[in-house]
Amino acid sequence: MNKMIPIAYWRNRKVYTRMIGSKCKDCGAEFFPPVRVCKKCGSRNIEEKEMPRTGTLLAYTKLSEPAQEFKEYAPIYLGFIRLDNGVNVISMIADADEEKLKSGSRVQATVRKWTEDGKGGLIYYGYKFRVSD
Amino acid sequence: MNLNAAILGYGAYVPIYRIRTEEIARVWHGGGAGPNRMKAIASFDEDILTMSYESASQALSMAGNPQIQAILVGSESKPYAVKPTGSILSDILGYNKTLGVDLEFACKAGTEAMQLISGMVSSGTIDYGLAIGADTAQGRPADELEFTAGSGAAAIVIGRPNGKEIARINHSVSYVTDTPDFWRRPHDQYPMHLGRFTGEPAYFAHITSSVKMLFSETGMKPSDFKYAIFHQPNPRFPVEVGKRLGFTDEQLRPGLLNDDIGNTYSANTLISLAKVLDMAETGDKIMLASFGSGAGSDAFVIEVNSRDQDNGYVPFSERLRNYREVDYATYARWRGKIQK
Amino acid sequence: MSVFIRSAYALPVSEYWTKSIVDLMVDAANRAIDAVPGVKIDKVIVGNMMSGYANHQEHLGALLASSLGMKGVEAIKVEAACGSGGAAIHEGYLSIKSGEYENVLVVGVEKMKDMDTPKTTKALAMAESSDFTQAVGASFISLNALLMRLYMNSYNVDEELMDYFPVIAHKNAVTSPHAQYRKAITVDDVKRSPVIADPIKLLSSAPSGDGAAAVILSSKEGPVEVLASEIATNDLIVAQREEPLRFLATEIAFKKAIKKSGISASDIDFMELHDAFPVVASLGLEAMGISKKGKAPQDASNGRFNMGSELPILTFGGLKARGHPVGATGAYQVVEAFMQLAGTAGQNQVKGAKVGLTHNVGGVDTTAVIHIMRRVE
Repeated sequence: MNKMIPIAYWRNRKVYTRMIGSKCKDCGAEFFPPVRVCKKCGSRNIEEKEMPRTGTLLAYTKLSEPAQEFKEYAPIYLGFIRLDNGVNVISMIADADEEKLKSGSRVQATVRKWTEDGKGGLIYYGYKFRVSD
Repeated sequence: MNLNAAILGYGAYVPIYRIRTEEIARVWHGGGAGPNRMKAIASFDEDILTMSYESASQALSMAGNPQIQAILVGSESKPYAVKPTGSILSDILGYNKTLGVDLEFACKAGTEAMQLISGMVSSGTIDYGLAIGADTAQGRPADELEFTAGSGAAAIVIGRPNGKEIARINHSVSYVTDTPDFWRRPHDQYPMHLGRFTGEPAYFAHITSSVKMLFSETGMKPSDFKYAIFHQPNPRFPVEVGKRLGFTDEQLRPGLLNDDIGNTYSANTLISLAKVLDMAETGDKIMLASFGSGAGSDAFVIEVNSRDQDNGYVPFSERLRNYREVDYATYARWRGKIQK
Repeated sequence: MSVFIRSAYALPVSEYWTKSIVDLMVDAANRAIDAVPGVKIDKVIVGNMMSGYANHQEHLGALLASSLGMKGVEAIKVEAACGSGGAAIHEGYLSIKSGEYENVLVVGVEKMKDMDTPKTTKALAMAESSDFTQAVGASFISLNALLMRLYMNSYNVDEELMDYFPVIAHKNAVTSPHAQYRKAITVDDVKRSPVIADPIKLLSSAPSGDGAAAVILSSKEGPVEVLASEIATNDLIVAQREEPLRFLATEIAFKKAIKKSGISASDIDFMELHDAFPVVASLGLEAMGISKKGKAPQDASNGRFNMGSELPILTFGGLKARGHPVGATGAYQVVEAFMQLAGTAGQNQVKGAKVGLTHNVGGVDTTAVIHIMRRVE
């Protein structure tokens, strides 16, 4: 059973590992994940833009019953993060330590394994954020 | 090998998790401990790709993000038998017009990467390359190697010397034989080894040979060096081989990490190199000798130039102080040792 | 063209081991049809979210029509995540309004109980972006948990205050004949129940279940008239919204519905609110202007929404206690509003109910469907 759709993963890998989002060439607004049409001004003149890899944690939750592709890694921690360019992102938290997870904690993006298709299948890598000391 | 290569950036990454060998011994022997106090282990969501990424990011940042044309990842815990971690890493780092591939030679694949990249740079084949050693070593449950089999990665950005480099790689040698001290067949999760045979005929014989080759080719002797870094399969061997070759405790001590993080296999000597480079000063010479079972040894003369102190940079030894201990159950779960 | 509801029936929400998705749809449809003897159905609309993933079944429109022996009849499926039921009713409303159809059968159905928990979690997450939200492990509950935490931080509201919504729901469900959980609970019970995704607890989270609810919409007069049926949407990825705590879809759909219906908010006698989680109920009420920003939990705790008060909500138990067979819920709400306005709500009757509102949401207020209905005198 595929935990993710392999070809869809490949298609999106730059978003997942490098946090490539969008920037509107007309109004300058930035978005993550990428958009086809600017949500601010409606323009279709969109270019790729790599997001900053640092931000602030606004809220987090601990999920003891994740969806099936993450079931074996429970509990997983998810955070609502404001990146340093003002763009919000929801991400898994790596090396979660509940004592250090507070609204306002500074966080740093890294690349970790999201999941894999058993011992013989594909490994899916993507961004996670960890608290930077 | 005469080389004309320089270290422009370096990075070491060790996962924050540790397990005490006392804890491992408690499970399998009801008491006691291993030769080392603790080892570093990767979290369930880490592997050599993620650790290579961390260490490479540090190294590239220190080197000013040059255009990398070759990436070699040395490891014996590749996530895929077919599909190089080097290719995945190249893609993630954004280097597609690059040679991205893996190497394997037990614990010395990292220094091989350093040697080969240095060769490519020295010959003018490429301008900049990235050499990485990374492993999430597999410790067979209840086996003595389970005490030391650890996880870690280190990356070196190599280019031609330009006066502003951090250090120069002046000379390197490689010595190889066919020695059955430790190996792993493709279908096995864990390696096999021949116990005490891994000592004198393997570790000691090969390191002694490569270092003597190094001295002979360069005309250098132990007292010429400020630091000596040897491969550390346990805390005792590097001290013993260092002493036999004429090095002092003072030269050896800064590079000794096994007691705290275990044996990080392909990353072993490169992580020690990163730690030493953090503290070394202009003109210091470093002798580095790795060992890979199978068997072989690479030895290097590295001469320190200088480094602009980067404001954000946290020395490796400081980063090592931030760790979390886990128990054997967590370790077994994370490292896939529990049959489901 | 006026749109009426001639009959409405809700199957008790439960775990139906012996009933397939077809059985559920047919059970509900038959009861609605029998209540209008001789009715000729021109169109069948099925509202459902996850039949493909949960039951390996698509093509529900034709499936229901053929199961009811309605050969040749027009039939389609409508999907808008947990707003599928409301969206199906909306399409039925539009069909009647267009003048092209006389009687439209709308059935909301969901059969969730053939799936285990991890599969159910995955199915629900499909309301969110596959590429960018599901991929990062964010389940539907976790998104709502993050939203609740942001709400609590922004407005300085305790979790306990928000737990009044499940209490109201359960109290009403005790006498609700089709409710899944018919036991009253206290705020303390909610607080002490297991954490699912902090700060959301087991007893503050709508359950999963099997169910079906059927409605016959018509141009011919019935006991209830649908005055307005409006849908609005918001950015799918919550993190990309300029104001994550603003339920813009509910806000817009509500405004449009009020305008279309010609009534004012104070005319609403009861509300079948989308109470998937306390934060959704709160933000929904605030988006409709019923409560001031950050004050809905306070209002709930003050009894403003209890039975017999100025604006009863969740009169048959809401999502929390009546149950939430996700794609069917919007249809359940309309059936409940019908019962209130037709005077057949039994022990749960809101006295003198003349105007009612249903609020059905898909995703995290990504789709909002509002219906305003009135009693036909």
